[in-house]
Amino acid sequence: MDMQLKRGLLDVCVLAAIKKADSYGYQIIKDIKPYVEISESTLYPILRRLEGAEQLTVRSVEHAGRLRKYYHITSSGLERIAAFQEEWKEILAIYQFVTREESENA
Amino acid sequence: MRKSDFLAALGDALQGLPKRDINQSIEYYSEILDDQMEDGIREEDAVAELGDPKEIAKQILMDTALPKLMRAKGKPARTLRAWEIVLLILGAPVWASLLIAAASVLFSLYITIWAVIVSLYAVNLTFALGAVLGLIQGGIFLFAGNYMAAIFYFGAALACLGITVLLFFGFNKMTGKLVALSNQFVLWIKSLFLKRRNTK
Repeated sequence: MDMQLKRGLLDVCVLAAIKKADSYGYQIIKDIKPYVEISESTLYPILRRLEGAEQLTVRSVEHAGRLRKYYHITSSGLERIAAFQEEWKEILAIYQFVTREESENA
Repeated sequence: MRKSDFLAALGDALQGLPKRDINQSIEYYSEILDDQMEDGIREEDAVAELGDPKEIAKQILMDTALPKLMRAKGKPARTLRAWEIVLLILGAPVWASLLIAAASVLFSLYITIWAVIVSLYAVNLTFALGAVLGLIQGGIFLFAGNYMAAIFYFGAALACLGITVLLFFGFNKMTGKLVALSNQFVLWIKSLFLKRRNTK
């Protein structure tokens, strides 16, 4: 897959993983892994980037005698997901157009 | 490798970055490893799956903004001795001018890439203006009753318009490639800073 495309997709996947409820690094990886390849070291820069863009916030919660960082989606993070859905409606329409051409030719 | 060894190696490889950044990275990997072990994965396996801490540090450094990276990597690994500082000051006319020259070359290369993009669109704008002016001039001749000249100008205007549209799409494509090139250029400059540290 195109690198730039994959980067954008991973950003949205991470946001989607914390959309319903706040989540932490390891849980996010476990949630996303069935759908798209992601490793611990690819998640880290994504979280930093999304935090920098204020699409998520971080808070530390005590867990089993240590601190665990929970990530919370912001309104601009939710907007990012909405924008992604809009964009893919268009892409899906184009996809249907392309595959229709193919099936007519066959 | 144990968790503590991994985190120590990661911290070492990130040396030079602000303390806050180093701690943030260490906290992240520490939490990930703790969570994996809590999930029943053996410490050694969890650490092994993360990979080489040096590679991870390199990725983090490549993701760091260039100015921050330059500050981090420009810092000497130890405090300088008095005679080294004296030498640095005395040698300043030599090394400072060389450094400025090198930085200027890199900067001008970067500017060149963007200058090409700007000039592409300037050319495109010229054709668009040609089309507009051709139409106006054609109109003037039409009202003056000079039909042959009017047709000539309208034709030229249409040709300009066509070229404008074609070039616009072509230039957009080229611009995409050039932007990618300039991003790669910045990555390359970053890698120069990283190499310097690794050869030491």
